[in-house]
Amino acid sequence: MYEEQSNFKETKEEALRRVRVALLNILEDTEVSRKDAVNEKNKTMAIIENLTDGILLLNRNNEVEIISPPVVDFFRKEKEEVVGKNIFDFLSGEDFKNLREQLVDEEKKKMKQVFRQEVSISNRLDLEVTTVFLKTESEERGVLIIFHDVTRDKLVERMKTEFVSISAHQLRTPLSAIKWTLRMVLDGDTGELNVEQKEMLEKSYVSNERMIALINDLLNVSRIEEGRFLYKQEPGQLEDVVKTVIDSSQELLKMKKISLSVDIPQEKLPLVNIDNEKMELAVQNLLENAVKYTPEGGSVHISIEKHEAEIVFKIKDTGVGIPETEHERIFTKFFRGDNVIKMETEGSGLGLYTTRNIIDAHRGKIWFESKEGKGTTFYFSLPFAKALTA
Amino acid sequence: MLKKILLIEDDKFLRELMNKKLLTMGYDVVCASDGESGLVAIKESKPDVVLLDLILPGINGFEVLEKAKKDPETANVPVIILSNLGQSEDIEKGLKLGAKDFLVKAHFTPQEIITKLKTIIE
Repeated sequence: MYEEQSNFKETKEEALRRVRVALLNILEDTEVSRKDAVNEKNKTMAIIENLTDGILLLNRNNEVEIISPPVVDFFRKEKEEVVGKNIFDFLSGEDFKNLREQLVDEEKKKMKQVFRQEVSISNRLDLEVTTVFLKTESEERGVLIIFHDVTRDKLVERMKTEFVSISAHQLRTPLSAIKWTLRMVLDGDTGELNVEQKEMLEKSYVSNERMIALINDLLNVSRIEEGRFLYKQEPGQLEDVVKTVIDSSQELLKMKKISLSVDIPQEKLPLVNIDNEKMELAVQNLLENAVKYTPEGGSVHISIEKHEAEIVFKIKDTGVGIPETEHERIFTKFFRGDNVIKMETEGSGLGLYTTRNIIDAHRGKIWFESKEGKGTTFYFSLPFAKALTA
Repeated sequence: MLKKILLIEDDKFLRELMNKKLLTMGYDVVCASDGESGLVAIKESKPDVVLLDLILPGINGFEVLEKAKKDPETANVPVIILSNLGQSEDIEKGLKLGAKDFLVKAHFTPQEIITKLKTIIE
């Protein structure tokens, strides 16, 4: 009996000791975790404080919890002025009108979901703003607002656009004067010319036209690189664009004695979203290439086909073709085939580059097949307008 | 009576060329070399058509067009923009302000410009 009791006492003590150890362990773990958490927090804060992008963290009541140094700089507000303040109060001033419009749903008193929205804060500050809604499985945890400074990018963009349009204008003015003078002299407005004079001036006229075309190409390329090449896309008929281009190219075809056959379905084709002017340019580039690189007496065939969800344009020539080794490079800027450089044909090497960019911007695809000495076929496809909006 | 064309163009040589072509084609021509004098000329000489450049010293062609269209006295005078600007934005802006046509100088010969002009007068 006594033995039993003592045994019982021992086990109890033992148990208590074990509990104590376990508790101490737990306490220690908690302390470690607490330290970890503090470290983690410091690390996170250090990351936030040192990011070049500005960060505003709102709690679930839309009060500012964290404001990082770049945001302090952007908005010229002290940290103490902002932390704990409601974001709607913070943004209520006239200075933040643009930002408020982009970020706040005024009716619902809620933050809006935005992604890389450009906002002009003042004439010396442009920001790209993103909001991220922080959520755990069950609850909202607030909103993270990220500000990316794009002031410099915008400035460079504006300067480039201005530069391009001014230089285009400056270059075009003397070229117009040359064009007009030559044309008027050639038309006999200043008296009769002899045959030799006429021939020479005719050649200078063509040369000048090439210069004008080159400037147009360069203007287009600079627009492509700014990423704002397409102006207005509207649902339209690709066949109409193609017909316009064919009509305006009759002269060219006659000059090179090239026969053109066209195969466009009789019925109306599904609509595709197109920027008419640019699409004309794309088709024209392909047609001009086909004619330019096909020897006299050759033929060019154009067809348009309706596929399942897209329209496919095809232009096939019996020209010199593209050397196999250069197939990979043909859509790059300033590319010109080795074989055609030797032919002394004129070209800027910008046509296919521009064309591919136009087709890409229309969410289409462009590809080709070519055999040197046999001919080349270019294809592009455009998705139906319906499929694009779906 | 001869049809009267007002030519607003700041480049002297281009102005001379166009002036000569218009005269040989049998038009009466009035010239202006900047925006302000162009506006005055629209009012005073009552042209049948205005050929308007955009980049001009002083007030630019867009402003000339806007002012001419706001003035009831000149609002009905047809204006053709003849400029070396030619981005889609410029063209849209010009047409929205009431221009009848937008011609890029480098893309048209004087003869072609007159053909366009004829379709508007007649």
